[in-house]
Formats: sequence, C-alpha cells, structure tokens
Amino acid sequence: MSRGSVIWLVAGREISERVESRAVRITTVIMTVAVVAAVVVPGLIHSSSKPTRVGLVGSGAQAIGPSLTATASALKVKARIEKVRDGATARAKVKHGSLDVALSVGSSGATAVVPHTLSPQTRALLTATLTVDHQRSVLAAAGLPPATIREALAPVPLATVAIAPPPSHQAARAVAAIGAALFLYLVLVLYGNAVATGVAQEKTSRTAEVLISTVRPEQLLAGKVVGIGMVGLGQLAIPVVAALIANAIEQSAKIPSDVWFLLPACLLFFALGYGLYAFAFAAAGATVARQEEVQITTIPLTIPLLVGYLLASILAGDPHSPAIAVLSFVPPLTPSLMPARIAVGTAPWWQVILAVLIMLVAIYAMVRLATRIYKATLVRSGPRLSWREALRVRPG
Amino acid sequence: MDVSGMGATDLRRLEISNLHREFGEVVALEDASLSVGAGEIVGLVGRNGAGKTTLMRSVMGIIGPDRGTITWDGHPIGQTDRLRFGYMPEERGLYPQMRLLAQAGYFARLHGLDASAADRAARSWLERLGLGERLDEKLIALSHGNQQRVQLVVALVHDPDLLLLDEPFAGLDPEAVESLSETLMARAEAGNAILFSSHQLELVERVCNRIVVLDGGRVLAAGSLAELRERLPAQLRVKVSGTSDWPARLSGVQVVREDERGVLVAIEPGADTQAILRAAQDAGPVEHFGFESSGLIDLYRHLLSP
Repeated sequence: MSRGSVIWLVAGREISERVESRAVRITTVIMTVAVVAAVVVPGLIHSSSKPTRVGLVGSGAQAIGPSLTATASALKVKARIEKVRDGATARAKVKHGSLDVALSVGSSGATAVVPHTLSPQTRALLTATLTVDHQRSVLAAAGLPPATIREALAPVPLATVAIAPPPSHQAARAVAAIGAALFLYLVLVLYGNAVATGVAQEKTSRTAEVLISTVRPEQLLAGKVVGIGMVGLGQLAIPVVAALIANAIEQSAKIPSDVWFLLPACLLFFALGYGLYAFAFAAAGATVARQEEVQITTIPLTIPLLVGYLLASILAGDPHSPAIAVLSFVPPLTPSLMPARIAVGTAPWWQVILAVLIMLVAIYAMVRLATRIYKATLVRSGPRLSWREALRVRPG
Repeated sequence: MDVSGMGATDLRRLEISNLHREFGEVVALEDASLSVGAGEIVGLVGRNGAGKTTLMRSVMGIIGPDRGTITWDGHPIGQTDRLRFGYMPEERGLYPQMRLLAQAGYFARLHGLDASAADRAARSWLERLGLGERLDEKLIALSHGNQQRVQLVVALVHDPDLLLLDEPFAGLDPEAVESLSETLMARAEAGNAILFSSHQLELVERVCNRIVVLDGGRVLAAGSLAELRERLPAQLRVKVSGTSDWPARLSGVQVVREDERGVLVAIEPGADTQAILRAAQDAGPVEHFGFESSGLIDLYRHLLSP
C-alpha cells in the first residue's frame, strides 16, 4: 500500500468518526444558525431599508396617491401606499405599527400622524408630494394646458459625480475585520483541540502502539490532520453557503459587496493557520500522560491565537497601524491579522502573497518539529513531558 | 499463502541476536537472542520486568535497540514485513468508540487488505471468536474479556505470518483460554510463527514447542520442555511409612519438598539410586519409589532461585 493511500485511510477513519459524533453535528447546526442570524437579523432590525408604509386617510389624501408614488421614485425612497377609511382607523394602525405614517389632507394643510417622530426622509417625501400637488392645482386653475403643467412639474434629473470614492463602509469593514479574526481564532482553537484530543486519545488508550507497529508515525499524524481539517472545512462550508443563500433571499442584509471577498481570504488563511497550528496541537496531544492534560499542554498554543485576535480588534480602530502591519507577517499571528488587514483595506496584494509564502515556510518547519516530538512521545509511557523535555527525547 | 512451496515457508524465521537495550540506568535487554520458526510456538516466560515486553516492542519497531539485530526471513525487518506481523501489546489499545466490524476492518485495511477482503476477514474472525452477534456494537460497550477478544481479532485479521502476543491469556476465562490456545495451535499448524509471553506456566508447557526463560534482560534458558528438563537434576519420590528424615544421612541427595505423598529428592547425575532405595528400606517399609518428571514450574523455580 502506498504512503498516500495509508494517509487517506487514516483520514477516512477520522472523518467517519466525527461525522458520526453528535457533538460535531450540533456545533455545525449552531454555527449555521449563528451565521444565518448574523446575516438576517441586522436586516430585520434596520428598518431604513424597508419601505415606508404610508396610510392615506380620506378622499383628499387618496387623490395624491399617484403623485406620491412618482415623487418617491424620484427621491429613491421606498414607499408602500395604503388607503385608510377614517382618522380613527389610521391612528389605530399607526399605534399597532402596521403603518409608519397616516396622512390626511384638509383645506388649510395636511396632517401626518406618526408613532413618535417624522423621519426627515419621510417628511421630504410628503412635503414634496403635497407641494407638487398644490402647484398642479394652482397651475390648472390658471388655465395652463395639462401638458405644460406636467412639463413644469416634472422632476429635474440629478446626476452625482464623486471626486473621491466614499470612505466605503468604514464601520462595516471594521466589523468585518473583527469578525474575521474572531472567526479564525475560534475555528483554529476548535480544530486544533480536536487534533490534540484525538492524538491524546490514541496515546492514552494505547491504540497508538498497535497503529505504530503498522503505520509510520508520519502517516498517522498526516492522516489525522488531513481528516480533521476536511471535517473542519465541511463544517465551515455549510454555514457559509447558508449565509450566502440567506443574503440572496433577504435582500435587506446590509453586507457591503466589497466585504464578500473576505470569505475566500478567510478560507485560505484558515487552511494555512490550520496547517501551522494542527501539527503543533498534535505534538501537544502526544506529550500527555492522561487525557485531561490536553487542556494544559495546549495553552501555550492558544495564546498567540488570542493575541492575534486582540491585535485585530485594535487594527479595526486603527487600520493603518504600522506595528500591526509588521506583526501580520509573523506566522503565528498571520492567520488572524492578514484577513483583518484585508477587511479594513490596508493590505496590498503583494503583502498578502508574501505573508502566504512566509506561512508556507513556517508550516514546513512546524511539520518537521511536530513530527519529531510526536514520534518520540507517542508510544512513550510515563508522566507528561514539558515541551523542552519532549524535544530532547531520543526518537525510537 | 506462499505458492513457492514449503522450502520458502521453512525460511520464514524470526531471528533475534544479541539484542541490547537500556532505559537510563535500567538494562531492559542484555544480549538476548532467540528465534522463532514457521510453524513453531515459542513461549516467553520470566518475572515482571524481565524484558519480555521490550523484546516484543523491539521486533515491532516501536523501540529501537541499542545493539543487536532482528531479522525476518533472513533480512532486517522493515515496515513492509511488519504488515505481515500480528501484534497484541501488553497494554491493550483500540478505539473505544469504534464499532467492532468497522474497527477490525480498519486494522485489516491498514495491513494492506482491500475494502471487501478486510470486511470479510473482520466478519469471519469476529464470528470465530464468538462476537458475531455484536458486530455493530462499540468496543466500549463490551466486557473486559470480550474487548480482549477484539484485540486478538485485530492481531489475527490479516492472516499474519508472525504473531507476537504479549500476555494474550491474561484476564481470559477458562473457556476463552481454551479457545485461544486451540486457535494458536491451529495457526502454527498453518505455518505461522508464534511468540507469546505468559505467566501461566502450565499453559506455556501445554501449548509451546519451545520455551525461552528471560530474567533481568538475559536469556537464562531456551529449548523444548524435554531439553530444559535435562538441566534439572532428576527427582525421586520415595515414601517410607512412619518416617521422613532418612535422606538427610545420604550424600548427593537434596530434599526438594516433603508432603503426605512422601519425600521428593533431587539427585545428582550418576548418583546411586539403589543406595537410596536401600537407605529407604533401612528406615522402614517403602510404600512408593519412583522417578518424577519435573514441570516447567520446577524448572522456573530452579532457574530463578537466587
């Protein structure tokens, strides 16, 4: 059997064991629900993107219905118009929240009934409509032909020319940077711990001794890392696809389009970060004597991940920080800092490529180091080893 | 099975020469040598810490020796050879959450069987060891004894040429002991080489063709039971009614033990048995006089006596 097929065999066992596990299924569901909620809920709360519901009370107000629709489209405001029988019904509807504003028109002017205040946007819409309607009747009374009146009252097209692009979605970018870093911190800790626990289980249950007599330790380690990594990617792909679908359905979600490119960047840096950390977590798992010690041995590995996340949240407030730009090339910090820099828009493409190359070198070194520790400690009995001791153990 | 005939099978031999391994201050193996041929069952006996486990782990490549050589089929053992070995470590270990059929099948595949052959072999071995009804149960749901059977299935599932079993009988009920010893003898009959360690000496005596006694990492004795017996002084059982202190006056005779069946004496090679008989007759009426064959227990006691 070739080396590769042994790795796939080991990876396949890891995958089926995890897919069978209830904990993995539950976390997938929770992650999916959380991500979909993150996409949908802001849209539901943010009513500005919803049409303003206008109730027209009585025949006087209802006569301006077509005019209101035309003005709304000229102002690029979404409005939904509803005819209401009388003032009491309109008040009740505003009170219950099924209308945003109820408009009635009298001889001396118009009245808008609102829950609390009239938003400037809606005020502009109503005022413009009423004014145009008033002007139309004055001009008609003056005997002007309808074609002239239409021409006089037609909205003048207004084109906008921006000198500099808007500070595009600065707030959204900051949120995306923190979100990406937090996400990478969580998934790397989650799957790193899965690797460490899996290795420790094989060691403490002595399964490793049976395995090592048949499979090379390198193959066993690689198979485990690949298998858990694939389960991880699958577990991430499901929520991401669900989020994309949710965003397509719920158009109101305010995710700026230029933040979406962060997704492939996050997947890339997850893969690289996982490559670096999974092997380190595997070595940590191999040094334990008892399963419970995994929590202790993995602490030194979660610290740089946590630091990366904290630096990313500083970066969100200070996107041009030169110190963080430099730190984003330090391999243990790259997986959280580089996506955050991409999110805030301060990472030139050549820096991203350079960071990826540095990561690849670091992964290579980590694989060698971790394999060495793993081989030396996996079938060794006795108390837990410190990292320094583990490095000194003579292999075999 | 090897199609090239018996000649090739005869060559299959595990040869351990002058194996030496130290762990810090402790000498686990000191120039230990032994061999196991195809069709042979070799029993490894000795106190705890005598080096039995270190020896087996060295063969399986889990620990590297400081000195010495281990060969199979005349060449140093490599990873490919080990795919044809079956190993049952002293500290049992399998995946607790994995189902029996999947588990045995997985280990069969690691040893190079394809998916369908692995499934067939796993099924058949689990059935043979009385676990046919529990193929879809998780290992952890099984009793200790049954988990041990699964461990044995994992050692046997790929039909290995060499079996290394570290205390395979420990913790088994008499029925399982019986079925395991039959299995081992059948495997040997089929041409497997088998090396196992045990503290159950009567079992080793019954099952093994040859016995190796290890102590402090050194091979104290090796050979068939008959060969080993020759190292022991002959033993005579004599019962003289009414007295038991008569042998004390004889030279070249040592009392091993005395009980209601008389006195058991060890005699030096060439000692005059007729003189012993006369001495017994002088002491009183002789009820019993005869040679007694010594068991592995006597041998073990003799070899390990300080």
